[in-house]
Amino acid sequence: MPEALFSELLAATTGLLLLSATLQVWRRSLTASIRLLAVQGVALAGLVAAIGLHDHELELLPVALLVLVLKAATMPWVLSRVSRATGATREETPRMNPTSALMVVALLTTLAYVVSQPVVAVNPGPASRAVPIGVALALIGFLVLLTRRRALSQLIGFVVLDNGIAAVAFLTAGGVPLVVELGASLDVLLIVLILRVLTSRMQLAFGDTDLDDLTELRD
Amino acid sequence: MAALIWISLALPMLVAAAALWRPRAEWTRYSQTGTAVIELVCGVGLVLAVRSGGPVVTAGGLLRVDALSAYLLTVVGAVAVTATWGGLRPRSAGRPPNGRYSALICLFLAAMCLALLADNLGILWVAIEGTTIATAFLVGSRGGRRALEAAWKYVVLGSVGVAIAFLGLVLLYAATEAAGHPTLSWLALSDGSITLDPGLARTALALAVLGFATKAGLAPMHSWLPDAHSQAPAPVSGLMSGVLLSVAFYAILRMRTISDALLGPGLMRGLLLAGGLLSLAVAAALILRQRDYKRMLAYSSIEHMGLLALGAAAGGPLALAAVLLHILGHGLTKASMFVVAGRVLSVEGSSKIADVHSLLARRPRLGVPFLAGMVALLGLPPFGLFFTELGIIVGGWQRGLGWPMGVALVLLLVVFAGLAQHTASMTLGEELEAPAGPAPAKSVQGSNVPIALALAITAVLGFAAWPLAHLLADAVAVLGGAR
Amino acid sequence: MTLLILVVQAIAMVALTPVLIGAMRQVRSRLEGRVGAGVLQPWRDVRKLLRKETLRAEGTGGILAAAPLVLMASSVLLCVLVPLVSTRTLPLVPDDLFVVVSVLLIGTVALALLGLGAGTAFGGMGSSRHMTIAALVEPTVLVAVYALSIPVGTSALSSIVQARVKDPAGLISPVSLLAIVALVLVVLAETGRLPVDNPSTHLELTMIHEAMTLESSGRDLGWLELGSWLRLTALLGLVVNLAVPWGVAIHLNAGSVLLGLVAIVLKVVAAGLLVAAGEVFTAKLRLFRVPELLAGSFVLAFLAVTASYLVA
Repeated sequence: MPEALFSELLAATTGLLLLSATLQVWRRSLTASIRLLAVQGVALAGLVAAIGLHDHELELLPVALLVLVLKAATMPWVLSRVSRATGATREETPRMNPTSALMVVALLTTLAYVVSQPVVAVNPGPASRAVPIGVALALIGFLVLLTRRRALSQLIGFVVLDNGIAAVAFLTAGGVPLVVELGASLDVLLIVLILRVLTSRMQLAFGDTDLDDLTELRD
Repeated sequence: MAALIWISLALPMLVAAAALWRPRAEWTRYSQTGTAVIELVCGVGLVLAVRSGGPVVTAGGLLRVDALSAYLLTVVGAVAVTATWGGLRPRSAGRPPNGRYSALICLFLAAMCLALLADNLGILWVAIEGTTIATAFLVGSRGGRRALEAAWKYVVLGSVGVAIAFLGLVLLYAATEAAGHPTLSWLALSDGSITLDPGLARTALALAVLGFATKAGLAPMHSWLPDAHSQAPAPVSGLMSGVLLSVAFYAILRMRTISDALLGPGLMRGLLLAGGLLSLAVAAALILRQRDYKRMLAYSSIEHMGLLALGAAAGGPLALAAVLLHILGHGLTKASMFVVAGRVLSVEGSSKIADVHSLLARRPRLGVPFLAGMVALLGLPPFGLFFTELGIIVGGWQRGLGWPMGVALVLLLVVFAGLAQHTASMTLGEELEAPAGPAPAKSVQGSNVPIALALAITAVLGFAAWPLAHLLADAVAVLGGAR
Repeated sequence: MTLLILVVQAIAMVALTPVLIGAMRQVRSRLEGRVGAGVLQPWRDVRKLLRKETLRAEGTGGILAAAPLVLMASSVLLCVLVPLVSTRTLPLVPDDLFVVVSVLLIGTVALALLGLGAGTAFGGMGSSRHMTIAALVEPTVLVAVYALSIPVGTSALSSIVQARVKDPAGLISPVSLLAIVALVLVVLAETGRLPVDNPSTHLELTMIHEAMTLESSGRDLGWLELGSWLRLTALLGLVVNLAVPWGVAIHLNAGSVLLGLVAIVLKVVAAGLLVAAGEVFTAKLRLFRVPELLAGSFVLAFLAVTASYLVA
């Protein structure tokens, strides 16, 4: 694959990752956030496929397919079922209003660039220049985790965090060994399923999935 | 000998599958204890195998048992036996057997063993994440709002922490690939034979330790611990405190060996010192205010993990051997304490410290083990924890960590005072009001034998360490403690 | 020669502006099911206003007389500076990004002072809202055009457009797309179109731009209207030349200049009609939600800058 095309593909997929994460912070609608998660999954799969084709590592192509099935199809489907079951389709009152959250996104992207300098310096190339985007995605996932009240939003933030770490993994080293990759994907899927069950239990116990209701345990 | 490895991994999974298939069968009650016994037997077997023949390797190098893994497998088995046996309620207790609960505990044990037996760091990570999955529903199994809150916090915080550890491992793998030797094998990394870019390796290892410290309950990532341990059923709390925290700490120890080999002792010493002192401070600050005795025990776990972190920060043969013995002693004692606390909760009906008093006078079957266990936990002689805590402090002093050990001593005293006060208010004193109702039959509460055994072993630990001396020396050598 | 081209550019834009606004209003009317007033109605309105008697309230000072002229002058200057027909510039008059933004700001401030000048409540309200939006929009303009200028190395708008003409592949890169989207949002905010401000509203409490011109009449109002419309034309021309720069004259011969003129007229009209059609389907945002939108466009521009370091 010619270098210029590889650079453009990398820029397109990582740009799409970051854009979808920004839109998730911006939008209040949970259904839109879940659809953006599917977009992220597609972008991540495209990223993996591009790296696989460029580095001539053909075992990355089934991994790309796995990522596509898992992150672009399965997880958004599970999350949308949670959304329908609990009736939570909007995040009305986040702890940080979208304007400040968007400013923080810009700050976090800068921070990611600063923090990723040692990674980029080790192995300069188009792929490692995109590593800050993965780190930024992970940091944005953290932001969503911390500033949302709805249980489903925390779930979405967790999946975004995982997407970011997966992006860093593929950009730095062409992924981790296949065994670890399979185990990690399975683990994340199971965690999402568990949180889904807990969310529906929360709906039954509290009548609502607002995490601010979970305040009984404290010192 | 490789068969022992496969047995210890496959058997719990088979038992879990069988328990799920027949959830109402009577034998599922005992399946957890049976599995724990098998793990203990495999652990002892592997210890002997490693003593005689060196590390046992299988699955193409992915699974490797050296002295440290074998020792910790034995510890895990022993603590699991204590917790599950102590938590056994016989048939006449009136509760139907719960196959799903047993299956989850067996899966939990399988994941713990996989984490201990893995040489590949990726598999270690997958196993530790697997423990979160296995225990998620166990923590919330009591039902109700508080249990749900505890389960949610546990899963979210645990997964986020472990995700950070994954990022660290990913960066580590990238560093090895940049150095031309892509590997996640602990053996290859701790040799010091691969030279990694120091900046990248530093970031990677720091992130990995931070992530595993979340699962180990070290401050500042400890906030899930008191909630999860106080809301889970008693045997589960015992297992988590005794086994899960220990295995997460084992992962930190493995990372520490790699870091010392590649980057020198500075990084890990600083991180573990900070985490250890902070954990002790958190425990000291909050233990006096506790109103719930299970939460009090959870904070005591945080304190002990902080102490372990300090010992690991010190390094050297004395401190590391003390750390390993402390893992055993703390595991046994904490598991017993949680089992007894569970029985107190079911008899007295309240988990508040203020609602429980004069246990020794009113309910000696509960009061005696409780008091004995607390004495062990407080680190009073003749129990082994006294000697291990002393060993950690002296070892730290010897390795130049004078003032941190001094601060640790002060904080330990504060925790001592808090625990002692709460224990005294719960156990000592006369029977003030009308005598309590007839004590529940022994058969309802469960046997005191496992508790007695666990405390006896802890008592003997300090003196009769001779059977363990060789094993401990080998394990410490694995950790690079001879340097 | 360049001076002649620039003068022709300015005259053409001034002549085009009422027609553009008329076409936009006509499209909106037709889509809404009305007959509409015809494409030349704005031209007729301006002609009428310029001939009417100007009434100024007592005690307003010179601001009511000066501000419309300043706005008109800044808009004409904008038409001269922005590379619309060709990418040639006068050596003494830089078409640097910062100069263009400053000229925009002069017009903005003049309008805001006008709203305050009459001392009415609605005028002050309009001015404060206008300045809030301007404050949020300025950084985005700077960052978005900066993102487009990174591969070129200079912030002169004509050089940026010239580089983009010569490099068609760069037009669909993520940097371009993000920056153009951010710029479109900026233009909508700066010129008072939906979803930021409704240009055809009659309700004073929803007005931003109209509120500031409530007290003006006659010739003042005529210059104000023409000046505001001219801003829209110039900014649309800028965005359209950055997004699809084909047709811009790079060389100085009559043929390419003529082509440039025709191209810019067509592109601006097309862009204006797209904006008008989009406005039919958009509702006006609450004022409290406008900073969200503008923060979002700022972050898009910021992401464009970060993305440009990837491909650099």
